[in-house]
Amino acid sequence: MLIAIRDLHRVYQVGTEQVHALNGVDLDIEKNEYVAIMGPSGSGKSTLMNLLGCLDTPSQGSYKLKDQEIGTLSDDELARIRNQEIGFVFQTFNLLARADAIHNVELPLVYAGVKHEERRRRAREALELVGLSDRMKHKPNELSGGQRQRVAIARALVNKPSFILADEPTGNLDSATGEEIMIAFENIWKQGNTVILVTHEPDIAQHANRVVRMRDGKVESDAATERRIARAHA
Amino acid sequence: MNLRESTGIALGALRANKLRSFLTLLGTIIGVASVIAVISFVEGLNRFVSDKLINAGSNVFVVDKYGFITSNEAYEEANKRPDIRMEDADALARGVPHARMVVAQTGSVERVRFRARHLDGISIRGRGPGYDVIDDLTIAQGRHITDFDDQHRQSVCVIGPEIADELLPGMDPIGKIIRVGEQSFQVIGVTTVKGKMLGQSQDRFVIVPVRTFLKYQTSQKSVEISIKSADQASLPIAIQEARNVLRGRRHVAPGKPDNFGITTADTWLEFYRTLTGGIFVVMIGVASIALVVGGIVIMNIMLVSVTERTREIGVRKALGARRRDILTQFLVEATTLSLVGGIIGILLGVGLALLVGALSPLPAGVNVFAIVLGIAMSSLVGVFFGSYPAFRAAKLDPIEALRYE
Repeated sequence: MLIAIRDLHRVYQVGTEQVHALNGVDLDIEKNEYVAIMGPSGSGKSTLMNLLGCLDTPSQGSYKLKDQEIGTLSDDELARIRNQEIGFVFQTFNLLARADAIHNVELPLVYAGVKHEERRRRAREALELVGLSDRMKHKPNELSGGQRQRVAIARALVNKPSFILADEPTGNLDSATGEEIMIAFENIWKQGNTVILVTHEPDIAQHANRVVRMRDGKVESDAATERRIARAHA
Repeated sequence: MNLRESTGIALGALRANKLRSFLTLLGTIIGVASVIAVISFVEGLNRFVSDKLINAGSNVFVVDKYGFITSNEAYEEANKRPDIRMEDADALARGVPHARMVVAQTGSVERVRFRARHLDGISIRGRGPGYDVIDDLTIAQGRHITDFDDQHRQSVCVIGPEIADELLPGMDPIGKIIRVGEQSFQVIGVTTVKGKMLGQSQDRFVIVPVRTFLKYQTSQKSVEISIKSADQASLPIAIQEARNVLRGRRHVAPGKPDNFGITTADTWLEFYRTLTGGIFVVMIGVASIALVVGGIVIMNIMLVSVTERTREIGVRKALGARRRDILTQFLVEATTLSLVGGIIGILLGVGLALLVGALSPLPAGVNVFAIVLGIAMSSLVGVFFGSYPAFRAAKLDPIEALRYE
């Protein structure tokens, strides 16, 4: 099991009030799954994503990533897990504006302590994988939205993480470009990667094999998509 | 963390907004520049003065009534001592075997005249033969005062080149009779040009034989005696011999302090060093204030930078940057900033020192220690004033930072 979540709680203190953002979540995700997490705002979807991404730690319950309990880790250990195990893709791309594409893709390897030559080589490979080998020296403002998101995907892939965690990856793109990005995710999944998609758009969620619906801090439903069934029959 | 990347970011930010960068770095630039300039200047001055003092008066000490006096009370006290007379000089010439030369001197300030021309406020020096060695004077024209001139109290004089130029313009000065105060003296020599020292002309004087000077003087005056020892090693011995002779002649009881003063070049050098040390401390204080102000400005700009780049910090943390990676990045950036300021300050300070060196006789040279100090100070300013903003950046919560608009 790649991810094993048991009775996960996350309580925020807002002023004098306690907000139960997660209220006992159970979730298992296997290697090479393609999962979409859906839910309206306030459902606990973002909180779950932050916990999955090891940006936050649970108030109660257990989150095991590759049998490693996340809740007890220190800040530095969490940073190492984010660096080694998780590839983030954000809605707003979050590329460094001053750095060119290859430099952006290299960034996780910088924090992993990979040597310069090796970094270059691996970043180049990752950019080739998303079809941007001719845009390596371009700055983000010289790239289209779709290209920027593909740079971000290359950055997520470059350190060979255990899973890709994408937060509304098509939210800032037109539908045609969004489709293009979803094809990129599909390819990544087909190559054996685990992809977790966080979205509120049902169309986007349908690209996954499995949809986890959140409501009021709990998992409301967890089911295979039609596409999964179609894929299974194909 | 990638040092090159952080340095690059800092330099890029500097380039992107040149005016802002310049204003940011102004304090550091002024601080470092003044430190460099002051160190170079004082060092140059030191070298210059010790050169002059040591070369001119090497192995020379001066015996006089007062010694090295720094307070009014000491002067009042010393004034009560018996005068030093020509006879004492003669006794020293006989009684100090390690002396190579004993030269008595006294002086006054007089008007000098030649026909209708006159110069006021000219230093008249009564000197015994050998003064040329003590004062490092060479003759350009004519001859020096000899022992014969002195013993026979001849009315002859050696003049500085400025006196020759101004009092006897376009004339051959040798043989001319000039009036010094109320007396007439024949010019027998003109010295070579020495130029200025600390803005003071060294070529404006009239030297007459000391015994001639004393013959004409209206009131009794104490003389000064310069003694040059045979070499460096015999200087302390010569000083001791001179003390013994004078204590005997002036009936100083054993155990009582000298009632005369002995001054060496070292005495002056030490006094001079105390003086410039004071200037040094004040200027370093001024520079420190500039550096602190500069540091605060850098801290301010770094705080702005941290706020502007909150999202970037969030992204970096999401991608695996640890606290110390972020801390290092911003520390390196702050230090790069202040180092750039420091380097500009060093160039400015060195330029200033070289300018002073070119426009004045002071050999204000480039001082390696000062440059190292400048670099060390500016990086210290960067690390010190950069640490609070860097710490703020490092402890940002990644979720908050990623959400920051």
